[in-house]
Amino acid sequence: MAERDVMEVDVLFVGGGVSSLSGAIHLRNLIEKHNQKVAEQGEGKTLDEVMIAVLEKGPYLGAHSLSGAVMDPVALKELVPDFSEKGAPLEAEVTGEEVCYLTKSGRLKAPIVPPPLDNHGFYVISLSKFTEWMGTLAEEKGIDIFPGFAGVEVLYDGDKVAGVGTGDKGIDAHGEKKSNYEPGIDLRAKVTVFGEGPRGSLTKSLVKKLNLDEGRNPQNYVVGVKEVWELPEGRFAPGKVIHTMGYPHKSDTYGGGFIYGMKNNRVSVGLLTGLDYADPYLDPHREFQKFKLHPMVAGILKDGKIVQYGAKTAPVGGYWSVPKLAFDGGVLVGDSAGLFVSQKIKGVHAAMKSGMLAAEAILQALIKEDYSAAQLGSYEDALRQSYVGKDLYKCRNFHQAFQGGLWMAMVKAGFQYILGGKILSDRLPAEADFKHQKTVAEVYGTAAPSEEQVGNLKFDGERTFDKETDVYHSGTIHEEHQPAHLKIPDLNICYTTCVEKFQNPCLRFCPANVYEMKMDENTGKKGMHLNFSNCLHCKTCDVKDPFENINWVPPEGGGGPKYSVV
Amino acid sequence: MNIVVCIKQVPDTEAQIKVAGGGKSIVTDDIKWVMNPYDEYGVEEALKLKEAQGGEVTVVGVGPKRVTESLRTALAMGADKAVLVEDANFYGADPIAAAKVLAAVIKGLNPDIIFFGQRAVDDDAGIAASAVAEYLGLPQLSTVIKLEIADGKAKATRPVEGMTLILEAPLPVVVTAQKGLNEPRYASLPGIMKAKKKPLEVKTLADLGLERADKLEVLALTPPPQRAAGKKIAGETPDELAANLAKALNEEAKAI
Repeated sequence: MAERDVMEVDVLFVGGGVSSLSGAIHLRNLIEKHNQKVAEQGEGKTLDEVMIAVLEKGPYLGAHSLSGAVMDPVALKELVPDFSEKGAPLEAEVTGEEVCYLTKSGRLKAPIVPPPLDNHGFYVISLSKFTEWMGTLAEEKGIDIFPGFAGVEVLYDGDKVAGVGTGDKGIDAHGEKKSNYEPGIDLRAKVTVFGEGPRGSLTKSLVKKLNLDEGRNPQNYVVGVKEVWELPEGRFAPGKVIHTMGYPHKSDTYGGGFIYGMKNNRVSVGLLTGLDYADPYLDPHREFQKFKLHPMVAGILKDGKIVQYGAKTAPVGGYWSVPKLAFDGGVLVGDSAGLFVSQKIKGVHAAMKSGMLAAEAILQALIKEDYSAAQLGSYEDALRQSYVGKDLYKCRNFHQAFQGGLWMAMVKAGFQYILGGKILSDRLPAEADFKHQKTVAEVYGTAAPSEEQVGNLKFDGERTFDKETDVYHSGTIHEEHQPAHLKIPDLNICYTTCVEKFQNPCLRFCPANVYEMKMDENTGKKGMHLNFSNCLHCKTCDVKDPFENINWVPPEGGGGPKYSVV
Repeated sequence: MNIVVCIKQVPDTEAQIKVAGGGKSIVTDDIKWVMNPYDEYGVEEALKLKEAQGGEVTVVGVGPKRVTESLRTALAMGADKAVLVEDANFYGADPIAAAKVLAAVIKGLNPDIIFFGQRAVDDDAGIAASAVAEYLGLPQLSTVIKLEIADGKAKATRPVEGMTLILEAPLPVVVTAQKGLNEPRYASLPGIMKAKKKPLEVKTLADLGLERADKLEVLALTPPPQRAAGKKIAGETPDELAANLAKALNEEAKAI
């Protein structure tokens, strides 16, 4: 087997999202300050030529970044005090807010905005655009950004993380090398920061191997499905923020909708669906399309045009699901660390702050030349003491409280906010999302529910779209001649237990129609067909498969969505 | 060998193109830019030639500062030097105006062979390469899918309607690359690192003693008509489907 090339860097950030970029920028700033101090005081050692690299599987920074989003600017103000002069692409400051409960045809507006959802002083942003902008700041600071390269394996020296191996390029569907085959390389680093976003593929294997989740709750996820629309002039004010609960979700499904006013008459509209849902016929993309048909939402979107579509998971397990964050040779940041504050529906500031705190620990590690878990552990201590840690602790039982359904949860959520987080016992347990899956028979009382029972929808192509049309609006594209990147260890399960119990829910929970049962003309039987080039890299399948029978690994670098305004 | 490759930066294939107010240009904010896909075949062929016969590959581009990224991509693939003629307003220029600039740069490089993509995927003009060949008094081999360089001559294979042409020309020559010429290599991580240190010269139009002189003017730019949704023909058996299809072609499409 040919030896792979090795490239040494000092600090490697895996994933080019806001947590990694904040970390990289802050680290560079800290190193400059440190060197200045050494020069002024004439003592200590400078840190020279520290190579900071960011690895990103998307074709450019922001291509795989997606969120609602309303951002608390607290971390931005710390990292880039002159963010306004530097042209931070903020859509609008939040002007008006509304929380409502939707019924099929009506709505109940909450008389006050529940405190966790008070967004005053916050900004509506496009995470994709914001990430791209942070990338330009990082490049100006001499940080080496490598878009189009996927990390496919964690490198270890014994139990110490030593870096990441990138994927080969130019392999055809049969695993053979094409004429432009380019082998991946081993990127070795003193410290590796994992900022892969929700359900990171490397983070997943790393947490398992190093037992970082010992004694913690398993992580739980929502999938957010959204579209950006362009509306008639003046229809929806920039900075107007609406959050909804209720329709289209039944009371036993976690999640809710959002509508955020952007500038230039654009609006972000989306629906979050908790992946611990029980109904095997639930389809998060379809539920989002239904959301758009609700009279309130339809009225907002009338005569508008879709601009972009996308979907992504977000970690909602909260405080008790956060794994151990520091280990020999590395740390976890952002959504890979599960730092999303689900009660406030905010993760961007938490991701940024975690990157910055990681940078502070890494600076000390570089000075002391000590990259051990003990040394890097100062990051985790700092995080717990920070506003991120405090926020997470305060709503530590928020998601678990929803086990009894929406109403019970709202009661509990109200109480826990007042009581500073305690609900009955101090820590509520949780189970992995896929374990909540009920069978078709359990939910419908029959093995073959009707279209109507299941809640299927005919898409009109104007207000609602089928998955293929939506995927087109995400700019998603992959090199067609490569092996499918959705690894199914036991295909037999799909044709036996899964279809018997659940009717293959992957056909429905994927917001991109990657999974299809196609009639094989030769055998006359249906076979699993993977439209892998539709993949939005959202990770829903990796989370929700009831048998943990789908393993999402990165496809050839550079492929995937091409988000720009979501 | 002295090898030159001309590249153009165009909107990403997945970019949603909108016509700007005024109806004469496209909206360029929010667009991602890439090296023209046909130019990639040109860069690859240049690199293969250098690997086989030795020499140096210089890549040339004209346009706003962002064109630097595409030049760096070519350097990361293996090109040795780059030249950018920087002009913030150059995108959308008349291809002849672009050719004048390119010719001025290329003249000073003394090339044995100059590669272009066979056309740019944004304006589909396919003019600049021929104009450059004309300005430099060189022969041109266009839409080439196979190229052999030996004994100071270039032999090119070029598909045309119904047949294949084999053409020959003495060096120096302009070649425009067509899909099928080669499989462009990926820029490797070490390649990207090396590219940061390779020389990238920035010139202005004034440096070349030129002024922008477009002779073609865009009068109007309109999006293509909205395609009506496709219709699925109903029917269970092949006979039924055929009958319904024939009926639709006759009555609705009025095609038969």
